[in-house]
Amino acid sequence: MGLDRHPVERYTVWIKNAVQGDLGMAARGGATINSMVKSRLPNSALLAAVAFLIAVPTSLLAGVLAGTRPDTKLDRILSIGSLLAISIPEFIIGVILMMVFATKLGWFPSSSILLPGETILGSPKILVLPTLTITGALFAYILRMARANVIEVMESNYVRTAILKGLSMRQVVFKHVLPNAMIPTITVIANNVGWMFGGIIVVEFVFAYPGIGSLLIMAIDNRDMRLLQSTALVIAAIYAFANLAADLLYGLLNPRVRVGQ
Amino acid sequence: MNKEPLLKVENLSVTFFTPRGTVTAVREASFEVSRGEVLGIVGESGCGKSTTAFAVMGYLPTTAETGGSISFEGKDISSLSKEDLRELRGNRIAMVYQDPTTSLNPSMKIGIQVQEVISEHLNLDQTARDEKVVELFESVGLADTDQVGDRYPHELSGGMQQRVMIAMALACDPDLLIMDEPTTGLDVTTEATILDLVASLKERVNAGILYVTHNLGVIARVADRVAVMYAGQTVEQSNVKDLFASPKHPYTSGLLSCVPKPPGAGEVSSRLKRIPGFVYSLEESDVSSCLFAERCPLADSECTTVSPALKFIGQNSEVRCFHSDKVEPDTWGGAEERISRKDVASPTVLTGTGITHEYGKRRKKYMAFGPDIDLPVRALNKIDFEMPQGKTLGIVGESGSGKSTLARAVVGLVKAKDGSLQLNGKELDKTVEKRSNEDKSAIQMVFQNPTASLNPKLKIKNTLIRSFMRFSKLNKQESEERAATLMEEVGLDPSYLERLPSELSGGEQQRVAIAGAFATNPEIIVADEAVSSLDVSVQAQVLSLLEDRQQELGNSYIFITHDLGVVRYVSDDIMVVYAGHIAEYGPSEAVLSSPSHPYTEALLSAVPIPDPSAKPNPLRLEGAVPTMREEFTGCFFASRCPRKLESICDTEAPPIQKIPGNETHVINCHIAIEDLEKIQA
Repeated sequence: MGLDRHPVERYTVWIKNAVQGDLGMAARGGATINSMVKSRLPNSALLAAVAFLIAVPTSLLAGVLAGTRPDTKLDRILSIGSLLAISIPEFIIGVILMMVFATKLGWFPSSSILLPGETILGSPKILVLPTLTITGALFAYILRMARANVIEVMESNYVRTAILKGLSMRQVVFKHVLPNAMIPTITVIANNVGWMFGGIIVVEFVFAYPGIGSLLIMAIDNRDMRLLQSTALVIAAIYAFANLAADLLYGLLNPRVRVGQ
Repeated sequence: MNKEPLLKVENLSVTFFTPRGTVTAVREASFEVSRGEVLGIVGESGCGKSTTAFAVMGYLPTTAETGGSISFEGKDISSLSKEDLRELRGNRIAMVYQDPTTSLNPSMKIGIQVQEVISEHLNLDQTARDEKVVELFESVGLADTDQVGDRYPHELSGGMQQRVMIAMALACDPDLLIMDEPTTGLDVTTEATILDLVASLKERVNAGILYVTHNLGVIARVADRVAVMYAGQTVEQSNVKDLFASPKHPYTSGLLSCVPKPPGAGEVSSRLKRIPGFVYSLEESDVSSCLFAERCPLADSECTTVSPALKFIGQNSEVRCFHSDKVEPDTWGGAEERISRKDVASPTVLTGTGITHEYGKRRKKYMAFGPDIDLPVRALNKIDFEMPQGKTLGIVGESGSGKSTLARAVVGLVKAKDGSLQLNGKELDKTVEKRSNEDKSAIQMVFQNPTASLNPKLKIKNTLIRSFMRFSKLNKQESEERAATLMEEVGLDPSYLERLPSELSGGEQQRVAIAGAFATNPEIIVADEAVSSLDVSVQAQVLSLLEDRQQELGNSYIFITHDLGVVRYVSDDIMVVYAGHIAEYGPSEAVLSSPSHPYTEALLSAVPIPDPSAKPNPLRLEGAVPTMREEFTGCFFASRCPRKLESICDTEAPPIQKIPGNETHVINCHIAIEDLEKIQA
């Protein structure tokens, strides 16, 4: 571990290795951090991707439905429901889902521990409850965002122009409302990728899901500074990358911020 | 003459039910539009003009309740199904809106936005549609018609955006074209080119046009017939010539006499007439009186107890007044003489020398190297001026010409990059923070938007007493007494002191803002578009207030405005600025008459004159004020100058020429004075 060397030297060596993709050894267990991250990151990515693929289209659809018919019964239900989902923390939603679907009904396993040799794709049932938990909060958040943006755009002068061109409501919504309402919404979604990784840590812990989040918790439990530092670094990098993608996406969608030649 | 009119609106009423109560925006509106004619609807804000226009499109919120009838070619709009209404909109009835920037979809190319109407209503294939769009762009005078369709709205200037909107409205050869304040918010030079386009449409298209505006000059320029609206009622209707020559309703007569006359030669010798009070509250619902009675000089007991109906008074003329036969030029009082200040010599209070300002910094591509990627905007370039005591200096120019920057530099809200300001011979610090309390109280400012410049959470009292306590070192009680007197001086009831700004109308708020500026007993008040957002009747009240105060107290005003009528009325001297440079500067009647700088000439010819018999001057400016990032190689105005000479204007900065016989009048131009006089004769 080189504890006999000067801290500055050890730090420069660590940095040198870290930027080359070598995060060093974990304090316990004798495995390299690289291999631990490598085995768990895909699991987290899978969980996130599935949650995303479910939450984004459905929540956008629901948000647009609610936004185009403000103050109707459907809108009220979706708005109040999403407010509830946002205000309940993930670990409570997770536990409630576990009680209902795992303990009472027994449809899905309550924990996602993998036995040696098992893969997640081999037993997809363990994905269901963690995914649902993450989807809940994400769905509510995107829905509210999409709804608010759709309502704002619906009241804009250019939508009035479109209606008074004689276009049908369907054309107005699809050609004029959605593209403009989606610009800020999609940016928020992309920003949420980073935020979602925070949520994933908790959810992975609740379901003992073998991802990067539970690795982080494990590092805290074991007071393994190196592992903690490295997992935090990986999560931060994902966060930063997601934000960059969000900004680039915004530029791509919005002609006003595109840089001219 | 018996044929059915294209559009017939009878006793239209529109009531909105809001959480704060019912608002009757339109109560008794009746008018007709025939094919081939332009009906102008004119009135102040809150008179129901736009609501009427949208009612004709069948576009009102679902909470609105309408009464009366709107029939288009004999069919009642309100009885149409959704499908029939869609078939009408954009196809048979098309509309052009007030604010083109927000009325175009920002994320869609303009060509596609125009095509959309065509593909919705006409059965054309793609090539024919493309051709049609190019044809439309040509007909509204857009340049580069083949490529312009690929641009996004934000890549076009306001005037070009409005041309796109008009092209869109003309796409299906509509039978009725509704234009709702299409030039409001555009610069006067752009407005003139759009009005030319509208005037040419009259000849080209066989449609009826409903033109809504608050601007009497615009009405005189485009309309054949005029309907005047007040508090949701049509109060007078007649052809445009008769309306301007002999208005029959006291409101029309008042409106016409409270507009400052358009720029012309000579001093304005009589004061503006004023309509007292404010537009009738729309929240009243039961009406058993003439709505104009409380502001009307002719009102008697009949007017306050019986609601007058529209009555015919000759061919195609209608008026809603019991006393229309008594309306005459002196209805709003005889001419009040103004005291001429032309030959009064007065000492100089404020001198500005070489005031220069830039926004932003120069940036290079690679830190300190490489080509410039960002240049500063040269907002002001060596501006010199002198402010005589007790007089008014008017500053005019298009938006982006540097007027407001100059005002802010004088007050110290921007720190001028170079130059100096001297107050009574004493150097003033460039920023307001570093000025002494005396200097701060000597120069005060009134802003354009009173609603935004008054603190919404502070009672009027607290806004006003702050300056007394801070600058005059009075205690709270003394300050409150002074505030009460001040309120009376600006024509407001002292009970208003306990109110919040939101409980006041726009005109009342601007009076409070003016009171606030007077509270420090200033020598100079800088008014930056202080009357621009006000209705003409309120504008006349505020201008008179400023005039009275100046006569009493002898303050000087720096008056910034884009309205040349207003500037002619208030100013002793006028400075015409363009792209941060002084184009022309001198006594106001000299600046407003020939010889003038070509820019002044173009501004003057762009002003719509509230007189239908006036021939519009054809001189027009194309394009917009340059961004002022690049240094001018020649004259600052060369890129748009209608009188440009060969070569020299592109290569050399223009000399400052003094007008023979009037040393205080200067023109910054290459063209010799006698030549300017000859061209402009």
